[in-house]
Amino acid sequence: MNTNPVNYAQLLETNNLIQCHGDENYWLCVTRTVQESKLFPVPAYMMLSYANCWYRYPALFRKVESFMSAEEIGDRARHIGTKCASLMAYMPDFYLFGREWLLNMGLLKPTDGINDIIYVLDFWKRFQLAYHRNDGHITNREFGHRAQLLPERTVQVFHADLYDCAPGDELHQAAHGFMAAASQYAFLVACESRISLNNHGPYKLDDHTELLVRDFVDLAEGDLPWLDDVAAGVEHNNITVTMAVKDCHFHIVDDWGSFEAEPEFSADKLVGVGLYHSDSLTDGRVPLGMGSRGELTATFQRLTGQVTEATNKLWLRIANWSRDQMLDAGAITYFAVCKDVAHIAGCYDPDDWVKIDERAEHFRPLLNDEYGRDILVALCTAANPTQQVSDYVMMQHANRGARFFTPIPYSVLAGEPYTAGVGEVHAGTTKLPEKKDCYTTSRGKLTIADYNRASRAAPPTNVAPEYRFLGETWLKYHANTPLADALYRREQRTSRRLKDKGAGLSRADILALRGSAGE
Amino acid sequence: MTRLYADTDKFSHGDASAVVEAFHNAIHDRVRTRLAAAGDEWAGFVTGEPPAHVTAEDFRAVEALLLEAGHRFAWSAAISPRERPEAYVPAAGADEASLATFSFEHAEAITATTDPEGREQRGQGDNVARYAEDRTGIARYIRTPAQVLKYVQGGVPADTIAIIDDSGGTLTAPILARFAGVICAGGSTRSHLGILTREYRVPCLMNAKVSGIRHGDTVRIETTARPKTADDYQSGREVTARVWRITK
Repeated sequence: MNTNPVNYAQLLETNNLIQCHGDENYWLCVTRTVQESKLFPVPAYMMLSYANCWYRYPALFRKVESFMSAEEIGDRARHIGTKCASLMAYMPDFYLFGREWLLNMGLLKPTDGINDIIYVLDFWKRFQLAYHRNDGHITNREFGHRAQLLPERTVQVFHADLYDCAPGDELHQAAHGFMAAASQYAFLVACESRISLNNHGPYKLDDHTELLVRDFVDLAEGDLPWLDDVAAGVEHNNITVTMAVKDCHFHIVDDWGSFEAEPEFSADKLVGVGLYHSDSLTDGRVPLGMGSRGELTATFQRLTGQVTEATNKLWLRIANWSRDQMLDAGAITYFAVCKDVAHIAGCYDPDDWVKIDERAEHFRPLLNDEYGRDILVALCTAANPTQQVSDYVMMQHANRGARFFTPIPYSVLAGEPYTAGVGEVHAGTTKLPEKKDCYTTSRGKLTIADYNRASRAAPPTNVAPEYRFLGETWLKYHANTPLADALYRREQRTSRRLKDKGAGLSRADILALRGSAGE
Repeated sequence: MTRLYADTDKFSHGDASAVVEAFHNAIHDRVRTRLAAAGDEWAGFVTGEPPAHVTAEDFRAVEALLLEAGHRFAWSAAISPRERPEAYVPAAGADEASLATFSFEHAEAITATTDPEGREQRGQGDNVARYAEDRTGIARYIRTPAQVLKYVQGGVPADTIAIIDDSGGTLTAPILARFAGVICAGGSTRSHLGILTREYRVPCLMNAKVSGIRHGDTVRIETTARPKTADDYQSGREVTARVWRITK
């Protein structure tokens, strides 16, 4: 009998979060084609990852929160382009997919792991609310598929420092070439998934132009063991490209980091670019090659060369992997989508994040290509027995008697027995070579001990006690105060055009400043 | 007999997949047996070592049941039938020897006799991006990493129109930018391969339904056609570009 009591309010809220995830996940799944690959056994590795998420997330998040709260991690994540940013939205889906799969196999009851489920979703909710603090939502979905995460002072710097470009010019070609090569590399790094790239925004630059922020993450020698050596020449682990796009409205920026635009986005609509890098050691995003137009062009070209070389080396490595190694790499890619919460908290341990828990490992013999495909498709289309409900029900987006994820039964409050959770992390295994103790950071290549120590040592400006709670509503009424000015000057300290301009500028001022710069 | 929680399910109408149903029924049987042996005490059982007392050996035995019954699994990753040929449906078109006689055969491919320009329609697909001219080249099937490796080491012939049934972006990652064109028998214009070919300005048809195109044929893809948009997919609108074999 579980001795950890739960109450009605907790169950109501948790079931709401479960249902909202299910509604959106169904839509995201059915509006995309099934991921397929002749290189990777994608559905099979996804299923292995879901089991790993079920068995490991609760203990790992509790460990992370013994160092730093989810809401402080969310505050910090908002200002850097790492994997736990927008991509954190995936996390509960993977965890709940693991639960749903085990329910269908009869290895769990809906009354199992109740305290864990409540905690994992509460951790996620607090992270998301802090991360989305400026737009006031918990997900992009809740905001009508939009992600306006950044405060005015950050968007102003991005806007002011954009370099204009046009199809055919050298900068446009270099930026476009980098995004093509980096996208391809990102798919390979992430074993065919899009977990290494992410878009957020848009922000309105003028009546015809929008800003989209694109993050490429985990590109260098870092957390992913398969990048050891082959990505040694990639300078930066996380790269952000700011993109000004004309005559094109991004009407969907979803919780999986994808976008839809009307009319469709194409390279000829790209009219401005900027380039940054960041990680848990940087105070926001750091300009990269932004000193001049020529320097930026050369930087894009240099980075393109680096990721192209790494693509070729990594592909050759993967082509020689066994199927079990592919399963491990893919499963870790999905499972570790939220690993950067541990980097931000300064408690990252590769044994936590790049290993398969022995309890998940048991499922490997099931995961041939056909079973993997069929069970994944059934989960993604709400076709499994546990996902079927009364014929009167009209599922969102489908109008049929189904639901994506099984809620927690309220009957546990009326005496039905339930279990609390899966306990501590168990021993992990890997078929891949052990991770080298080498992590590419903004302060060079560090050991994990030094990286964790550095992450814990210096809080960024946006969570410093004097600034953390100075949100956009405070700013609206205090822009003329020394404190607001100091906050903006901190953000502007590495800006080419806004250094020391302070808090008083409007968007019109930025446009005028850009118009007069003549770069 | 010990009953599982889900054995009484008012709303279930079963599994959609025969393989999933067979696997899960066999697993349910094992869980019932082990739970009975554990004295029907669920809380200790579900959190036991291993959870629910079901082991990797049990799962291996579940798969063996289907193989013993003569089932061979469909494959998606080339590595799977290569490592366990006894467990998977044989992989046609995955080696040099079978390429000579292999072709994708889609029941919905629209075909037509040769027109005055020497173009014989062999199917259609969803155009990713519009170009000023249609693209002509030599059809070369690429279905496995071994075939990609051959082109990595020996170079991609300049006129290659790759015929692929993988809408992902990783199989052909080292050579994608060097294709003259791509015909992909899967995915949509929003798939990873569609996204990457657009970025690299490689003409590409996704979701291609083709028939009778052999490795080495001269083919042309109608990349002057209107691209298929997300709205077209959402509204179920058919917007296709043609695939021809050039006979003269």
